[in-house]
Amino acid sequence: MQTPLESFIDHKAETGMQCGNYSIDLPELQDKEQYRFHFDATACVGCRCCEVACNEQNNNPADIKWRRVGEMEAGVFPNVLQMFNSMSCNHCVDPACLIGCPTESYIKIDETGIVVHDDDTCIGCQYCTWNCPYGVPTYHEERNIVTKCHMCHERLDVGESPACVQACPAGAIMIEAVNVDAWLAGDIDEQGNMPHLVDARVTNSTTRYTMSDAQRVEMENMQKADEHILKPFHAEIPLVFMTTLTQISLGAFIALFLGDLFSLFGLSEPSVMMAFLVMIPAALGLPLSALHLGRPILALTAMKNWKNSWLSREAIALGAFTGMMSINVLLYYLEVSQFLRIIFEVLTLGMGLFGIYAQAMIYRIKARPSWNRRTTNMKFFGVAYVGLLMMALASASAGINEAVSPLLSVALLSAMAQAFFSYEDFRTLENAKEDDYELGKTKRLYARFSKVHYLRKGSFVIGAIVLPLLVSVLFSAGLISSALLFLSAAVLLSFISELSDRYLFYVTSVPLSMAGGFFVGNQR
Amino acid sequence: MINAVKNFLGFDIKADKYKLSSDAQFGMISDAKKPDKWVFSTCGYCGVGCGLYIGVKDGKAVYTKGNPKHDVNMGTLCPKGLSEHQLINSKDRILHPMIKRGSEHVAVSWDSAYRKVSDTFKRIADEHGPKAVGVLSSGQLLTEEFYTLGKFVQLGLKTNNYDGNTTLCMASAVVGYKQSLGSDGPTNSYEDFEHANTIILVGANIADNHPILKLHIAKNKKVDRKIIVIDPRASKTSAMADTYIPIKPRTDLALYNGLAYIIFEQGWEDETYLTQNVNGLKEFRKHVQDYSPQEVSNITGIDVKVLYELARRYVTTENALTAWTMGVNQSFMGTDTVSAIINLHLITGKIGRQGSGPFSITGQCNAMGTRETGFTSSLPSYRNFGDKKAAQEYADIINVPVDIIPTERGYKYAEIIDAIDRGEIKALWIVATNPLVSFVDQAKLRKTLAKLDLLVVQDAFYSDTAQIADVIFAAATWGEKEGTYTNSERRVNRANKAVEPIEDTKSDFDIVTDFSRHFQGVHHQLFSGWTSPSDAYEEIKRSSKGQLCDQSGMNYEMMEDNGGVQWPCNDQFPQGSKRLYTPDIPFRTPDQRAKLIIADWVPMAEDLSAEFPVMLNTGRTVEQWHTRTKTRSIDILNDLAPEAWVEINPVDAEFLQVHSGDRLTLSSPRGEVPDVVVRVTQKMAPGQVFVPFHFNTQLVNQLTQASFCPKSGEPNYKQTAIQLHSEKVPSGIIMKEDVISGAIVHNKSTYEGVKIKETKMSTKV
Repeated sequence: MQTPLESFIDHKAETGMQCGNYSIDLPELQDKEQYRFHFDATACVGCRCCEVACNEQNNNPADIKWRRVGEMEAGVFPNVLQMFNSMSCNHCVDPACLIGCPTESYIKIDETGIVVHDDDTCIGCQYCTWNCPYGVPTYHEERNIVTKCHMCHERLDVGESPACVQACPAGAIMIEAVNVDAWLAGDIDEQGNMPHLVDARVTNSTTRYTMSDAQRVEMENMQKADEHILKPFHAEIPLVFMTTLTQISLGAFIALFLGDLFSLFGLSEPSVMMAFLVMIPAALGLPLSALHLGRPILALTAMKNWKNSWLSREAIALGAFTGMMSINVLLYYLEVSQFLRIIFEVLTLGMGLFGIYAQAMIYRIKARPSWNRRTTNMKFFGVAYVGLLMMALASASAGINEAVSPLLSVALLSAMAQAFFSYEDFRTLENAKEDDYELGKTKRLYARFSKVHYLRKGSFVIGAIVLPLLVSVLFSAGLISSALLFLSAAVLLSFISELSDRYLFYVTSVPLSMAGGFFVGNQR
Repeated sequence: MINAVKNFLGFDIKADKYKLSSDAQFGMISDAKKPDKWVFSTCGYCGVGCGLYIGVKDGKAVYTKGNPKHDVNMGTLCPKGLSEHQLINSKDRILHPMIKRGSEHVAVSWDSAYRKVSDTFKRIADEHGPKAVGVLSSGQLLTEEFYTLGKFVQLGLKTNNYDGNTTLCMASAVVGYKQSLGSDGPTNSYEDFEHANTIILVGANIADNHPILKLHIAKNKKVDRKIIVIDPRASKTSAMADTYIPIKPRTDLALYNGLAYIIFEQGWEDETYLTQNVNGLKEFRKHVQDYSPQEVSNITGIDVKVLYELARRYVTTENALTAWTMGVNQSFMGTDTVSAIINLHLITGKIGRQGSGPFSITGQCNAMGTRETGFTSSLPSYRNFGDKKAAQEYADIINVPVDIIPTERGYKYAEIIDAIDRGEIKALWIVATNPLVSFVDQAKLRKTLAKLDLLVVQDAFYSDTAQIADVIFAAATWGEKEGTYTNSERRVNRANKAVEPIEDTKSDFDIVTDFSRHFQGVHHQLFSGWTSPSDAYEEIKRSSKGQLCDQSGMNYEMMEDNGGVQWPCNDQFPQGSKRLYTPDIPFRTPDQRAKLIIADWVPMAEDLSAEFPVMLNTGRTVEQWHTRTKTRSIDILNDLAPEAWVEINPVDAEFLQVHSGDRLTLSSPRGEVPDVVVRVTQKMAPGQVFVPFHFNTQLVNQLTQASFCPKSGEPNYKQTAIQLHSEKVPSGIIMKEDVISGAIVHNKSTYEGVKIKETKMSTKV
């Protein structure tokens, strides 16, 4: 007996029917060709069959959507133009998810061009969910890993259509073959773009869009149905601490290094305790980062993709930095020659600088306009002043009074720099021309978190400027115990200030993404 | 503990739960949900009637897959259908029969529930007569169950105060078809969407409510294909239109009369067809003279040029199909508007052929089944109440004395409610419907239901109405029972039982037949020898023989093999019939000629006023089903539309100083609905708002008025004058002068002798 599927295939052959199909005539892929989605915006009526069919197919829970439908409109009643965008993965020629993945858990299949996710090696770092300008990869809490659309490649392999294609009553979703060279040579600019999506060139998306002339004319004016939704991004608390602490360690290490260097000119040498102290923040912070992973057990594999991924580079460099700082402690303890030690400290410092640079570069991604600004790099290094303050406190506590004033001065200067970076950060946010939709929402999020923002500013002014100045005066006046007290407060307050700023950095991030639904937004 | 740590560290990625594997019938599917068997069935949500398979694993429904060979849906399903298996194990299911003790519902045995209800029904019948028991049913049951229930109510309980929620939905189409064509019965097939050159969708938002119909429209590849959407709201459906024509609320009757005017004026009518098939031409031609283009333009807000263009397009196109749903039906003038649409098809002869006809799209999965057999607005198989010959015929078929066959229709839905209010009806049995969300003027309804001696609710879900019931009959739901559904295109589809009824629930068929045993001699007289719904179906077939809705040539196997069969199906049409009123199927009037109906447009009794200057339109959204009893616990649906919203034009939003995401309060003379989230959109005209009616959390039917079509009894849901109150502008919108244009024209026509006048039945709360 024929199965319904088989008899349907016969039926289809007899009637030539293509709509609501269980089986499709997949084109044979020629050289340089890959599969892609075609979405016909003139056919879609926004019924969301594809969304639900996808979840049913893949047994995904309601909040994990590989395919999403967005709603847009333009014009004035009654000449209103509605447009829907049903989107899953665009199976890009240069997938941002794949390039940034520290564990090389994405594979662009050679034969088909489909971008699939390798679940087994994924550590759940979610960097791909930041990187993809379409918001395609989704973190699956229950599974501790990221998951995404794989074009139902297992169905394609046996000549069956993907669930979304099969489900669409309008025939708006199709699978096609595309010649990658021809696509990139120009077709992509004509047919690869959709309102509220990033320029298709950014990742060389392969999805082809059919739009009516009217829809094309109104592309610039399409309003998202979810404009009102303001969803703070995940606070990433482990990363708030990890980034801030490693940056403080760098500042502290700079102080240690300068101290060691200036001791050549007669100042007293830093102690082993100080060498130990500079390492502490990084040593606390680095393991914390593993807590934000879905699979901490595999944390070390994050170093795998050092060729492409800034995340791998950060993991390697900051791991090495922390390791080298502990060796440095040993050098102090064993009292090896200062010359050798300074050479080693130069190397360590280099590693630390590169580590924090790599750390900042993780956030310099197109998909996150509020992060993708020079001020991110500046502010990451700017945190160093807290380390300098910390070392001033350590010197004062250890009675190395001669180091306190120079350190305080450098710390103050660095704090001024950080103040300038923060100002610059706001100025560029205010005057943003590009990505103004997302950056506008970032501004609104800053307003929503105004209390944290006041905390940031208040604690900065007191902890990083006023108290250090006061301490300088007290110290010069010889009121050591009051100075120590206020210096401790300064370290604590500036630490709090930088933590709150980093917290804001995460929660105010608004990713590039597609238009969403009125209630659900873009479902990310 | 160890597991928690392991899970935290990420040892397990639950690969097994999310892997795919090959299924013999449907290819690669989720392995965790791979069924042991697939059960052929039909969707139980809307009137489209999609064929599907229910996947069953370990005795539980785990999948629904569209039937690729079914002509209706060709393998597709809408979001509700795709997730339909989830409703069976919803947390809102009623698991046991229950009786209210104090304020609590307590699980009881079926026997005590039956006894409590039958004792009360008998006492009330003794004291006040059998008609003091009222029954409200649904469009949700299977045809066999409707038939069994109707037979029991009318012939066993002997009350004709029996109606269904179909009166809230399709009644105007029923009565409109009856008065124009002599019988109920939608005329067309879905495939006519494929064959029509012009498709006119009027008052129909199929993109939200019947998305699978898009499949048939998408198959239409005619070069001159044109889709025209006529609606006050630019719904999702208007996005698929080649031409979208906004129309002022509740003026479509004037539009259709006006188009007839233009057709006569231009001499475009089909004289041959009219002479051969239609009565009343002379009177009709005279009548539409009141509807000159300029006047119609004033009433409808549609430009005169557009009216002419529409008429021209309609006539010159070879085939034109008009499809409508609730925008037409749910109106004070619903019945006559349906007839006005039919009039236009009659004068142009665009009926009874491929791609042409006046086609009502049904709301519920089996509103058609209850129309055919349900014993509410007619005797079974479209026999009219009061037709002595028909009553005798039916009595003979079922072998009962003719004097127990009711001779007239009892109270309609709203009349039943009024009779309760008056104290005339003492007990009410509600089956598979939830008036405490779906009926108009909720505040009044709630007070009225409190007057009952006994409220029995038979439902699968613990609905708002079930919550106030004295007794609950715990019903099985879709997937747990068997029978047939008839869809909008008269296709009788087979629904099979995939799983056993959950816990202590029973199919509605079993409930009714078991319950009937508690009434002396009733079971023996009506259901003797009946063991399964197929016994009811055999009787339905016998009863339908020779009637328009003839199913005598069908059987369950044939329905499964062909993906449903369209009636009439008999010796003459062994494979069923794609459309009605072809040359082979004459009109069902005594002289077999259709009738042009004289219908007048009347303005709203409760029109916009300075106090209530905004027109509220209510409707549905694709993610939810009716009063959400079935869909609210299906996360993937409910998350997409978790609460009601109010769609409002930017001009009004600016006046009220609100933005999308803000909150508004809506008020009408009958109450207010606070805290409705605002959606600012150009889909609405200024001065009009849309709110979906699904939500008991923002119960918009607190605002709607008790105004009903005098012919069908259908409520005028779609237009209610309301006010909007924002936090910044609590006094609301100020009336605009131009909103009332068209009234002058109207006054003329009312003075010139309108027979029916809308009465204002609203009460202040």
